Amino acid sequence: MRGQVSRRTIFGFIGPAVIGLAVVGIAPLLYAVWTSLHFFNLTKLKRVEFIGLENYATVLTDEAFWQAMGRTFFLLCTALPLQIALGLGIALVLHKPGLTLVKTLARLSLVLPMATTYAVVGLLGQVMFNQKFGVVNQLMGGADINWIGDTTNAFIMIVFWDVWQWTPFVALVLLAGLTMVPGEVEEAARLETKSWWTVLRHIQLPFLLPGLTAVLILRTADTLKLFDMVFTLTRGGPGAATEFISLMIQRVGFRAFDQGLASAQAIILLIVTIVLAQIYIRIFYKEV
Amino acid sequence: MGLRKLLCTAAMAMSLTTTGALADAHGWSLKDAAKPYKGTTVDVVFLLRPGYEAVEAMLPAFEEETGIKINVIKHPYENALGEQVRDFVSDGDLDIALIDLVWMGNFAENDWIVPVDTIKEKFPDIVDPDLDMEDFFPITLDAFGSWNDTVYGLPFDNYSGLMFYNRCMLEEAGFDGPPETWAELKDTYGPALTKDGKYAYALQSKRNETQSADSFARMLWPFGGSFLDAEFKSNLNSEESQTGLKFRQDLMQYMPDGIVAYDHAETVNGFAQGDVAIITEWSAFYSSVMSPETSKVIDCVEIAPEPSGPAGRKPALGGFSLAVADQADDDEKAAAWLFIQWATSKANAVEYLERGGVSARQSAYEDPALAEKYKFVPALVESWQDGVPEFRPRFAEWPEITEIVQEWGTKMMLEEVTTEEGAKEIGTRMEAVLEDAGYYSGDKPLAQ
Repeated sequence: MRGQVSRRTIFGFIGPAVIGLAVVGIAPLLYAVWTSLHFFNLTKLKRVEFIGLENYATVLTDEAFWQAMGRTFFLLCTALPLQIALGLGIALVLHKPGLTLVKTLARLSLVLPMATTYAVVGLLGQVMFNQKFGVVNQLMGGADINWIGDTTNAFIMIVFWDVWQWTPFVALVLLAGLTMVPGEVEEAARLETKSWWTVLRHIQLPFLLPGLTAVLILRTADTLKLFDMVFTLTRGGPGAATEFISLMIQRVGFRAFDQGLASAQAIILLIVTIVLAQIYIRIFYKEV
Repeated sequence: MGLRKLLCTAAMAMSLTTTGALADAHGWSLKDAAKPYKGTTVDVVFLLRPGYEAVEAMLPAFEEETGIKINVIKHPYENALGEQVRDFVSDGDLDIALIDLVWMGNFAENDWIVPVDTIKEKFPDIVDPDLDMEDFFPITLDAFGSWNDTVYGLPFDNYSGLMFYNRCMLEEAGFDGPPETWAELKDTYGPALTKDGKYAYALQSKRNETQSADSFARMLWPFGGSFLDAEFKSNLNSEESQTGLKFRQDLMQYMPDGIVAYDHAETVNGFAQGDVAIITEWSAFYSSVMSPETSKVIDCVEIAPEPSGPAGRKPALGGFSLAVADQADDDEKAAAWLFIQWATSKANAVEYLERGGVSARQSAYEDPALAEKYKFVPALVESWQDGVPEFRPRFAEWPEITEIVQEWGTKMMLEEVTTEEGAKEIGTRMEAVLEDAGYYSGDKPLAQ
């Protein structure tokens, strides 16, 4: 019958993607689950044995794991609101009519921080925040602030770089949301009120919510797995001040070589990420 | 530059001629021994440090003589263990293992490396009659190359902790020599040299192996402390260990701010820029502080053994050996051995030294002219007499334990915990690792 597509054709189109996804995404995940149920230390492979949920019990009762998790969420709770506030501000400015060339250039320049490799950001940070020679202290009138060696300052530095790198992403997503607002509706609203807040709250915000939900999910996942930038910048230090959960997993898995424990940590992190994503969708996501 | 190249080429030619001449006397030559393995490629991990650059510069001579290709894979220290472990567990390509002294137990117990005696038995024709194992400083062969009385690797990149001091800064402050003891450093030199943005001392303490080896362990041994007692229980809360750890806390007032973020690069740079008067660093950094490209204080650099504590000098000990990897096939094993033997040979020791490496060959230091030319030589030779092989335990569990020491050692320095609390935490966790490994049940011998 016309319009009916055979199963073979459907599989032909979708199958490769499904198989690719299974091989690239699901198989390693299943392997990680298997590893997490075993004593699996790379330097003690002669002793690999099934230990059930022991790795999970170790992780869940490990104070250092929860401290790292708490630190990661503190980073999320400080950096993400800043990114949303600044990103929204930039998006609203770029949404205003006029100055087309300047806005085009501004949009292009917004891509630069996002396009910078995480590790490069970390190395930039090492140079710019150097206590003695760094440009940051020079710009602050030759201040003698110890950024990398002080626990609080090191955390602030990480927040700064995360905000620097990812505010443009938030701005671009929200700008896309603003362009979805029907012009006549927005124009009518502006005739009704001069309050930008009222326009934002009642006209623009409903169109921003899907993008905002995507930002929340993506940035939360990104923050939970933030690794490269911090690793090159502070390596989790000083002390454990910037040891976020991904750094801890890397340390356990690749420096202490306990792949079983690191896999259990990673699986728990995955579960936390999925739960948070579901919460965001339920609370924030609404179709306009 | 042209003269330098000419001299290097001449030195290279001389070293090969020397090898050849000695070999001829025994009827053995590198060229002949390598003939069956011509065209073999040997994969090895090198670090981004002066000693490796020295051998890399010498490599063309070896490759030309033997026809063996040495494929060097460079990693920073922090990545080198992980990269090699992953290669060995996956039956990868590495034919030579680069072994830090604290990795030795791990590599040997996993059978990733081949004992030297096995190589000698299997390939008698490729063993240089002038190998002379007794010529290595005993502590280097013992600590860097051996495990459980079996020699696996030949000492290659060899360190001892030395005290680098800026003679000009010391003289300006009224001192005519370096401190003899740690107490003197803290009580006399510290206050006099810490002023106007300059610091008396810097102790590299970044949270990686630097924290465990260079900072934490350095303050244990001279004060009579240690990681473990004779029963392999934690000794960190003993009076001696605590004295050392508290001393470190007191000494921090004479170090730059944020010393917990200082790795070797920052410490050596602080000294080389004239901001720090005294550092205790590995001998391998001699070439960095003496290079006009990286140092402003060349004319003021002097070197002495590390200060003594109540228990003696007991300076930091570190170093790497090269061993043949078990996963290599027979040709690769033989070619790998030829390279290791050549790189650590008596014949090449002086050239290695002149190019920025630190040889473990005793014979290399016999020439008094060398001691004049390389200021670190007398202090190095003296330090290797006083070294402690178990400065850091070398058993397979060290990678797990060092992570614990790094975390809690840094917390102590940041005063997030007291030295007693930190030591208790490290002790509890360290004993759990050792218990799990079977040391307390008698499954494993108490070897470190």
